[in-house]
Amino acid sequence: MTLAEDNGPERGGDDLLAAEYVLGVLAADERQIASRRIDTETAFARLVDAWEVNFASMAAAYATVEPPASVKTAIDRRLFASSAPTSAAPSAGFWSNLAFWRGLAAAAIAALAVYVALPFVNPPVSRPETRLVASLAADNSNVKYLAVYDAARHEVDLSLVSGERGTGKDFELWMIEGKNAPVSMGVIPAGQTARMAVTAAVQHKLAQGAVLAVSLEPTGGSPTGQPTGPVVAAGDLKGI
Amino acid sequence: MKDRAAFDLLYKQTSGKLFGVCLRVLRDRGEAEEALQEVFVKIWTKADRFAVSDLSPISWLVAIARNHSIDRIRARRGPSANIDAALDVADPTPGPEAMAVAGGETERIHHCLDELEKDRAAAVRGAYLNGESYAELAERHKVPLNTMRTWLRRSLLKLRECLER
Repeated sequence: MTLAEDNGPERGGDDLLAAEYVLGVLAADERQIASRRIDTETAFARLVDAWEVNFASMAAAYATVEPPASVKTAIDRRLFASSAPTSAAPSAGFWSNLAFWRGLAAAAIAALAVYVALPFVNPPVSRPETRLVASLAADNSNVKYLAVYDAARHEVDLSLVSGERGTGKDFELWMIEGKNAPVSMGVIPAGQTARMAVTAAVQHKLAQGAVLAVSLEPTGGSPTGQPTGPVVAAGDLKGI
Repeated sequence: MKDRAAFDLLYKQTSGKLFGVCLRVLRDRGEAEEALQEVFVKIWTKADRFAVSDLSPISWLVAIARNHSIDRIRARRGPSANIDAALDVADPTPGPEAMAVAGGETERIHHCLDELEKDRAAAVRGAYLNGESYAELAERHKVPLNTMRTWLRRSLLKLRECLER
């Protein structure tokens, strides 16, 4: 291994390993080790994600080939065939647990489906940057939101992917621009999806790609006008 | 069933692209069909992880399909089939899917690849698109394995330097 001399002592070999993993050149056993580290080490997973982003546009060279219908049938059998009505499920913890994970997956799948569809519906060429997306998450919490800002309609659509606000609490949405104090965009209505109107003052800043953050506040929102509880999720708005 | 409708929509929009990925890497129709099944089952169970990725949705899905196909081909023993003979699908002209792939991410990588020597850029592109291992690349470029490793790592370091510029 000439990793140290190639890479310099200050960078460590992990970034190069992440690049090799994403490129796909590693042998089976090396890939297994890397893959386990992605699941268990957040820092390493981030390096891998960054290289996926770097290389992503190369994937444009992959042809689109319609798979035979038999593939979809087989997938449906594997995912949906055994799905009994959830209301009739026995009270055992296993089933409620399964239902929970299914619900989680369904919300995330729905969000993905919508985001994948957007560029087809509105080609980015004709209407650049009218729609921005943010994945809101934080290391110390399980709260995850997906946010879509529609500049033309002055609205933010939010999908709750995971997490709960708990009784007596509310989630409040904030816009943070540079080093300025967070600006409240209001309390997020409860539920899997929510739509919030955006004021004129905030619209302009959002269009330039501000950060969205969600804080945990007393019911009705922060009494001070600034976040009083922990930030449970945050993320950058990006063009689709 | 609402979740199933969402899944059907996602499948309709993305299965062609993801099947293209599986086919290109695995170079075998039957195996690519099996891989595509596994990829969608994986997507279903891992969808919540998308929230913590910086990738655009379609690129995130492509990454799952690519990595799964590469894991599969690595697990396969023996030398791989001839790339040119096995795949009858040519590189397409970029369609709407290609635009969707490029949507969220930087196009900078193409510019940075152009800064590399031609054969090294080709090795990086080949590795990414075909999922070739160090061993396969060494064979194709007719250089010892360790030379290939050094080549490619140097190329990756140069790419990183260019991307950070």
